[in-house]
Amino acid sequence: MEIIYFILPLVMGLAVMFVCGFIWMTKQGQYDDLETPAHRMLLDDQKLTLKTLNINPSINDLNKEKK
Amino acid sequence: MIHAIHCTHCDEEAVIALFNDDDIEKKDPFCCNGCKTVYNILHDKGLDDYYQIKNNSKAYKRRSPVEVKNEKYNYLDNDDFLNEYSYANKDGLRTLEFYLEGIHCLACLWLVEKMPEFLEDVEVSRLDMGKSVASISIKPSGHFANIARELNNLGYRPHPLKRNEETIALKQKEDHKALIRIGIAGAGAANTMLFADFLYGGADGAYAHWFSLSTVVLSLPVLLYSAFPFYQNAWNAIKTKTVSIDVPIAIALIFGMCFGFYNLINGINHNYLDSLTDLVFFLLLSRYFLKKVQEKGLSANDLNFFYQSTSVLKKEGEEFIEIHPKYLKINDLIKVKANEIIPADGVIVSGESMLNNSLLTGESLPQKVKVGDKIFSGTQNIDNELIIQIEATDKNSRIGKILKQVEDGWIQKAQIVELTNKISKYFIYTTFILAGILFSYLFLQGRINDAFSRSLTLLIVTCPCALALATPLALTSTLSKASKKGIIIKNDEVIEKLSKVTSVFLDKTGTITYGNLKVQNFKKTSQSSLPLFDIIATLEQKSLHPVAKALREFATENGATQLLPMENYIEILGVGVSALIDQHFYEIKNWKLLQDQQEIASFELSDQIRKDSKAAIDSLKFLEITPKMISGDNADIVNKIAKEANLDQENIWANVSPEKKLNLIENSTNAIMVGDGANDAMALSKSFVGVAVHGSMDISLRSADVYLTTPGISPLVDLVIISRETMKVIYRNLTISLIYNCFSVIAAYNGFITPFIAAVIMPISSLTILLSTVIGTKELNTRLRID
Repeated sequence: MEIIYFILPLVMGLAVMFVCGFIWMTKQGQYDDLETPAHRMLLDDQKLTLKTLNINPSINDLNKEKK
Repeated sequence: MIHAIHCTHCDEEAVIALFNDDDIEKKDPFCCNGCKTVYNILHDKGLDDYYQIKNNSKAYKRRSPVEVKNEKYNYLDNDDFLNEYSYANKDGLRTLEFYLEGIHCLACLWLVEKMPEFLEDVEVSRLDMGKSVASISIKPSGHFANIARELNNLGYRPHPLKRNEETIALKQKEDHKALIRIGIAGAGAANTMLFADFLYGGADGAYAHWFSLSTVVLSLPVLLYSAFPFYQNAWNAIKTKTVSIDVPIAIALIFGMCFGFYNLINGINHNYLDSLTDLVFFLLLSRYFLKKVQEKGLSANDLNFFYQSTSVLKKEGEEFIEIHPKYLKINDLIKVKANEIIPADGVIVSGESMLNNSLLTGESLPQKVKVGDKIFSGTQNIDNELIIQIEATDKNSRIGKILKQVEDGWIQKAQIVELTNKISKYFIYTTFILAGILFSYLFLQGRINDAFSRSLTLLIVTCPCALALATPLALTSTLSKASKKGIIIKNDEVIEKLSKVTSVFLDKTGTITYGNLKVQNFKKTSQSSLPLFDIIATLEQKSLHPVAKALREFATENGATQLLPMENYIEILGVGVSALIDQHFYEIKNWKLLQDQQEIASFELSDQIRKDSKAAIDSLKFLEITPKMISGDNADIVNKIAKEANLDQENIWANVSPEKKLNLIENSTNAIMVGDGANDAMALSKSFVGVAVHGSMDISLRSADVYLTTPGISPLVDLVIISRETMKVIYRNLTISLIYNCFSVIAAYNGFITPFIAAVIMPISSLTILLSTVIGTKELNTRLRID
């Protein structure tokens, strides 16, 4: 059971590391807006309609072929 | 049953559906011109995906029809303004934040954030949906006025917010600190629990000593850093000789900490630190959530930054230049065009027109003004250009004085001691007395060690954490429910107040009624040679007068199909219009339509009651709240509306001045005041609870406690239901937590409470509260029909 004297500080060290990570992320602003980014990522690929039609005709064709 | 037609753009029910001219199959109905315009703009820009995204996403808030406002926003490019409101980024961009009205779903996010792709100068556009605040950065060559106009065109009315990097940084720093406190509390509590577990599991000897040392070390950052706000609040409460729920919590935490150290030094390997750190974590978390929900929508703080979104033409030399009303001085000459709001008090030096006083005095019919007449800021010029010499601006104007009284009144507003704080006062006395009795009893028996440990245990385990959780948990869910229903509650005290309300004072113009004129009692008295409604539409096509506007709408709704060619069109201000159509002389005057001096139709005009007002008033009566109406309008109109709205004769007041409104409110207890205009502002700020309806003036928004973002007064009924249900949940939560506390007091008296028992009971009591709140929320959802 002497292993506990090694494990104990290790565990504490890990905990401190994670807490430091959390503090760093908070200060970076990761938790500033919890709502919008979740929606935003769904829309990243959604280009304007006109552009979709003009620039990526090949994708439209591909979809048709699949059907 | 006929299915209601819903607007393609805003999903509101379209009573009279409008269609695009080329939409022959009538596939896309609109409720109003505003929505139709926005739809067409989006279509022209190739932004049709908006509707696809909208239909695929769950609406996030309710949205109301788009109001068409023709603002130019030129003042946004004024240097003084830019220095005060925007800030420069490091990479040469300039950033301004806008509060956007009407943000409600995923598609709005898409539209606002795609701006850099269809607007040239926009470099970055970020929207915070929770707060409806967009932060927009443009190149130095760009103009914010263009961007504001574009946002306005898309149906999101922008309001610039006064922000600078310092205030943003300060706010963020506070937010980050709160989060870090929670993070440390979470990590500390979880690890403390882990080591305490070994102790409960029967670790002994050197191990036990190490484990208990670990719990003490791990709990220190939680109890010293994370719990700091509790000590601070408790200290503030003691300093002001009041009591808040934080006082007993701070006491329990401090005693718990001492107890832990004392036991560690004396080689007793048990303490209450695991339970206490746990509770610190739960409490911080619940308060954080409550704060986040409160920040949703427009916070009271942001409202103070609200900028009066108008510009004014000031005479400079021979020309008129566009400036912001803030920079107006006495004796300046200004030009006010039709449909513009008068920005300052003054005297007319040229021109005559009709004025809409409804927001200032509550009168629903416009008044005629001419050279030499004094006019007040906040009124609206209806049809002709006026040149005005300024006599009083800003704080000295009539509206400014009202605003000042509002601000003073705000401070004097009746405060209530919140229920939890009331209880915590008795709570503290009781626990201290009980601890004292226990201590002296055991001390006199000579069991000195027992005396210390049991009375300390008593103080620790009666830590009213469940009590402190009861209110924030219930309020968090309530406030988010309310904001989904389009109700913004500025402070949560309002919920408790609302549950005590016995009567409600409703303003008439703009609150119970639509606030604009509509044609009523149209009678065709004899035959006309041409289609009647075509004649009306033709005659009134040019006039800006509200009567003309009402008649135009009425004609369109009744199937006017074309505009006829007309000659010799004359408009006589305050009298009517006349013209020659197809060799007949037509006139509209004195609420009659004449053909060659012969009456062919008559009509009446009045401000009409909103279609949901009567139902809302009936519901209020059902909830045992007496609806009352106060209006600045004349008695005839007020009586007529009262009859339609099913209000009792003894509960209506006509010809009421703003001061008298205030007086009425002051002399009634537990009454809500609901209004929109400047004449309601004083009453709103002094009332027990002030509610500003959709479309209110800035000043009313500032003085009210609650703001309804959807039109009409029916959200008021929801508001009352929400607050009553919430108080029910809060009472239930408080009862549960008090029962737990009674139990722990009895157990502590008999020495049954060990750290292990405490570690089980304390989290369970908090969980019960959580469960009770969840059940309460479910009940509320069914009553409000939210899914």
